[in-house]
Amino acid sequence: MKRNVAIIGGGQTYHAARRHDVDQAEMVNEAVRRALDDAGTTIDEIDAILLGNMEFFEGVHMTDCWLVHGTGVYGKPGLKITTGGTVGATTVCAGAHHVASGLFDKVLCIGFEKQEEGDTGAILSGVAHPLWGRSLAGAALGYFAMMGSSYMANWGATEEHSAMVAVKARQNARKNPYAHLKLDITIEDALNSRMLSYPIRMLDMCPASNGACAVVLADEKTAKKRCKKPVWIRAMETAHNEQFELDWRFVDTKRLIFSKACAGRLYKKLGVTKPAEYFDVFEVYEPATWAELVWYEDLGLCGPGEGFRLIEKGMTNIDGPIPVNPSGGVLSTNCIGASAMLRIWEAALQIRGDAGGHQVPKDVRRAMTTAYGGTNWTVMTALSKTLND
Amino acid sequence: MEEIKKYEPFEVDQHITAQSRYYAGRMGSRFYIALRDQQKILGAKCPRCNKVLWPPRSTCGVCFSELTETVEIGPLGTVETFTVVTYNEPVQPRKAPFIYAVIKLDGADTGMAHFLDEVDFDEVHIGLRVRPVYARERNGNILDIQYFKPL
Amino acid sequence: MVQKEQEWISIPMTVDVPFRFAAGQYLSKFMIEMRDNSKIYAVKCPQCGRVQLPPRIVCAECHVKNDEWVELSHEGTLVAFTIMYLPLTDPTTGKPHEPPFVYGSIRLDGSTSVLDHFVNVEPDMDKIWVGMRCRLVLRPQENRIGDLSDILYFDTLPGQVRPK
Repeated sequence: MKRNVAIIGGGQTYHAARRHDVDQAEMVNEAVRRALDDAGTTIDEIDAILLGNMEFFEGVHMTDCWLVHGTGVYGKPGLKITTGGTVGATTVCAGAHHVASGLFDKVLCIGFEKQEEGDTGAILSGVAHPLWGRSLAGAALGYFAMMGSSYMANWGATEEHSAMVAVKARQNARKNPYAHLKLDITIEDALNSRMLSYPIRMLDMCPASNGACAVVLADEKTAKKRCKKPVWIRAMETAHNEQFELDWRFVDTKRLIFSKACAGRLYKKLGVTKPAEYFDVFEVYEPATWAELVWYEDLGLCGPGEGFRLIEKGMTNIDGPIPVNPSGGVLSTNCIGASAMLRIWEAALQIRGDAGGHQVPKDVRRAMTTAYGGTNWTVMTALSKTLND
Repeated sequence: MEEIKKYEPFEVDQHITAQSRYYAGRMGSRFYIALRDQQKILGAKCPRCNKVLWPPRSTCGVCFSELTETVEIGPLGTVETFTVVTYNEPVQPRKAPFIYAVIKLDGADTGMAHFLDEVDFDEVHIGLRVRPVYARERNGNILDIQYFKPL
Repeated sequence: MVQKEQEWISIPMTVDVPFRFAAGQYLSKFMIEMRDNSKIYAVKCPQCGRVQLPPRIVCAECHVKNDEWVELSHEGTLVAFTIMYLPLTDPTTGKPHEPPFVYGSIRLDGSTSVLDHFVNVEPDMDKIWVGMRCRLVLRPQENRIGDLSDILYFDTLPGQVRPK
């Protein structure tokens, strides 16, 4: 990057299925004020504001215009970003590019979704091709169900393995005061929850949440002057998939799919050869349990077909050697426009040592986050404690 | 092109139907409840800008202050600008012709867009003094004010 | 915060968005050949050789124009599947698909891409598995409309035994 970029502060709302007490602007404003306070700055000092949110998921269009008073963008440069589940990470990515380029010194990035207000399913069906796939669009659920059936058929994993992911996420969420599904569940509970789309059960899927997240990015000079615990964005990579090629769901695909391509590029940039050792914590975007197991493999935390062994051995537990989603992840909280930003913000909290109850019990110097969205693409972000890490 | 056969361009007509429910939040709920139950119109006061904003909101868009105080505005107001709508559109709530006006209620610093009825199209003008006509059945939305009319 | 019984105002809205979608040259040929001649056409990339469904003008990997048309078999292999227990709405009709139903991803012989569709099999784990051979069943010709629903579903080929 041309200039180093740091996260100098952030904040989030609590996440819940119902937020009748606030309108969209009021909800966004909660996260914005927390982020500004955390960064020790005010709206007047912010150079530009980027808002991430899915178009029409709230039943309204152009939230960047609607929510000016909530975001604080009045009279400032601003952009709206809409890229599916990746939105939150894309927004940070765009913000980081703006700071790295030297155009702005301080950029506020916001992601939010008030899912209860809209018809996410109907609007999402618009992602599918009108002639080719819309009439049998199985939504995200159908996609991840096929990923699960492919995973089991090829690698020999069982439903118990996905249940382990379901339990880990919700037990971690219980340690995170902001999480939506703080469930004290067991593997039995997960295996007995209602079947939605074989092999995906109720507890294998993410909830529909309302919530917002915001982070403040700054250039190196500002960050060092203003912030006691800046978290550095060391690398960001994005990779797209081809709209019609659905083989990202098949664990035996031979193609270099988006996730592997993106991780490969990011690792090369940082000189990472053993990601499981290089990074101290991971926050991945897992809308379904099976997706987390596939992330283990696509990120190279283990070999192909070995992801379910990691969860089986507890390797990715909050106190394991490769902690994944100590926050509870997307499985516990999915306010779409904020979800991918929450991955980055939660990873930053881990590096700062400010994650509270879900702080991983080891020295965290480097963290890695992923996102998922649209017709399958990803934004990956590597964070570090110092510029030497 | 080596294609022998010509294929007609293929088009399909489809539609997407989406349901939604918008929540008015803290300030919005106060406004609509006061309108529905007491036929009072509220604005939000920004102490820093010393302005009264309609619709009421929790943050001042200009100075970013948190707003908690509401004040009663109107019910009388002044037409700031208007238009006579003479064409029909499915999204319009009424059949043409009708008047849309922006009305600055007494005590407010921002205008409210609403219908203006009981006035000849020739006689409507900027500066016209108007008052609201409330709906008999009020449900907590902006049509609890049915329309404005001249004094 | 006031924890008194507080009323929160909301308002319901319904938006219906009509639109007209143009399939474009390549997909038009696919849809018309399927509708009129019961043929399934894919395109092959001159560089990487990927046989792509649905047909499209550019190979996204190689950034070259796809111009070789390949007719595919009606038979293929099930790559993944799910048994859906939710009454998912068909957004094109507004009506739900009656659950439970099976749908899966089928790779037609000769194709690199897969095709997602219904599988005409009982929603029973013993009767469906990854690797099953399937054949596509088209709507009677006089009723075809030129979209993917002209394929009614995939039948599984008879006489198959679950491996292992």
